[in-house]
Amino acid sequence: MEYFLSEEQKIIKKLAKRISDEYVSKVAIKYDKEGIFPRDILNLLAYTELTGVYIPKEYGGFGGGVMEMCLVVEELSRNCAGVAVSYAATALGAYPIILYGNEEQKKKYLPKIAKGELIAAFALTEADAGSDVSSIKTVAEKKGDYYILNGSKHWITNGGEADIYVVFAVTDKSKGPRGISAFIVEKGYEGFYCGKKEDKMGIRSSSTTELIFEDCKVPRENLLGREGTGFIVAMKTFDRTRPGVAAMAVGIAQGAYEHAVRYAKERFQFGQPLSSFQAIQHMLADMYINIEAARSLLYSTCRMIDSGIKDFSKESSACKVFASDVAMKVTTDAVQIMGGNGYVKDYPVEKMMRDAKVTQIFEGANQIQRNIIASEIIKEY
Amino acid sequence: MKILVCIKQVINSDKIEYNAQTKTIKRSAQHLINNPADLSALEFALKIKDAYNDAYITTLSMGPDECKNKIKELIEVGCDSCVLLTDKRLVGSDAYSTAYALAKSIEKLGDFDLILCGESSLDGETSIVPPQIAEYLNIPHIASASDIKVLDTQRIEVERKLENQLFRFEVKLPALISVKKDSAYLRLPKLSLMLKALCYTPQIVNLADLENFDFSKVGIEGSKTLVNRFIEQSFDNNKCEIYENIDDSQIECIANIVMRLI
Repeated sequence: MEYFLSEEQKIIKKLAKRISDEYVSKVAIKYDKEGIFPRDILNLLAYTELTGVYIPKEYGGFGGGVMEMCLVVEELSRNCAGVAVSYAATALGAYPIILYGNEEQKKKYLPKIAKGELIAAFALTEADAGSDVSSIKTVAEKKGDYYILNGSKHWITNGGEADIYVVFAVTDKSKGPRGISAFIVEKGYEGFYCGKKEDKMGIRSSSTTELIFEDCKVPRENLLGREGTGFIVAMKTFDRTRPGVAAMAVGIAQGAYEHAVRYAKERFQFGQPLSSFQAIQHMLADMYINIEAARSLLYSTCRMIDSGIKDFSKESSACKVFASDVAMKVTTDAVQIMGGNGYVKDYPVEKMMRDAKVTQIFEGANQIQRNIIASEIIKEY
Repeated sequence: MKILVCIKQVINSDKIEYNAQTKTIKRSAQHLINNPADLSALEFALKIKDAYNDAYITTLSMGPDECKNKIKELIEVGCDSCVLLTDKRLVGSDAYSTAYALAKSIEKLGDFDLILCGESSLDGETSIVPPQIAEYLNIPHIASASDIKVLDTQRIEVERKLENQLFRFEVKLPALISVKKDSAYLRLPKLSLMLKALCYTPQIVNLADLENFDFSKVGIEGSKTLVNRFIEQSFDNNKCEIYENIDDSQIECIANIVMRLI
């Protein structure tokens, strides 16, 4: 399908596709098996300047928006969603700074993120606070020129590998969601430790860890936005990064679909290729329809966000829900078409099926996304 | 340091078609690639530019207008300027004529400290264009380099690896070095350079632009060699035997046979 991308966007997609096909595809199965963080691929993305596509020009980036970020994520995900999420998690850590950072913070961190010299992460989720953000228990107490952070974070993407973390902590317990604040915490700050690394079902080359704060001293100037605006910082960031998850889902689905089509043409049963059987043809057709529908919704949402329209929570959630459900369905069907070969680790589709699952879970489970969409719809009419 | 890299646009080897009448290779734009050995030479030039900020890389190609799009890719990796020598009178030129036309173009483009070429082109495989250019320009030449190091503004060190030997030469500049294919792999493009390439047009040079050019030395008429006939070799698929579901010991057995053969 023709999506009428700009010349610049076509170039970004082409470059990301090249890296994905020439480099990511060669390491995807090994990195998944051994849980290797794809620092080499991130270095290539940095060299080719794809790390800065969504960073404003005045801070050393390309000056693109959510669309440009999604094009890179989509192409990387065609071969390995673990690599893609390692890239995208930096965007998740960078967006709060782009949206709410003051001039000093932007100047200090964004140029280095654009150049790929800094890997970022976003630390909100806790053992008892996932979809229910307001239940976070990590606290930040102001003492002189510092905030003292205590608590722990769970399932933090890029944990241990990132150089800076946007961490959410309660500064005023009495105010509920309005008592949460966001801080930039650098690796190496006193009292900041990286905990257990998760042994995940999918996206295994990405690093997911626990973060521990024990009287962690964070300089006062690292407060992001004002005290008490953390909840807004998180929600507005998610609005911009949920399409990133949708892009990941579209990329995974596209990769699985391409493998399935090729396999269906090469595999012979009863003296003819699988692709000659209508049962298989209909599955392939449904894959195509669903992927293009998901991509259309994703690109439309990206264009809407990048155009400057203010309210897009509903659309952002919708593309994430739809694309992730499509990814799960398409990868499951790809495994089905490939039969025994789809179920073993010699072929990449079983990995893609495992990788697809997380897109329905992280950055707000699909159930909470539907809540967001429903509440917006009901408000509108 | 001013570096010139000669880069030929060739037909991807698995897409080659011949014109039986003129006995030349058909150049269809969609199957053109930059000659791999020339890209190894370009990577050496780029490495020098990485180390010496004042290095300036010009590329020179000779071919039809369709080569322009492939030439743009050279800007994407960091070349400073690209030149395309194009003229209908060059059609059918052999290695001798090509070297003459390239040498005359180089004379026009200015003084270069270092000229780099790939050892041979995928389509012709003659390997004689680089030494002939050097002869025309009256500068030293070293063939089949596997590594190049800049010693100072006047001298470079060139390595040539043979099966059991390694030669190390020191050469005074200006010099022409032809580089072995696969001795270096061309780097990835950068986004900002790809955007630059988007609106970049290579400088076009015609034979009329060249001084004291002897037109009788180029084209089919001016060529010293003549292709008598083409013999196309085809791979007969029926002769292939496909084995499926073979076990590890069979794979090992096949691997041993292959290792003995190579």
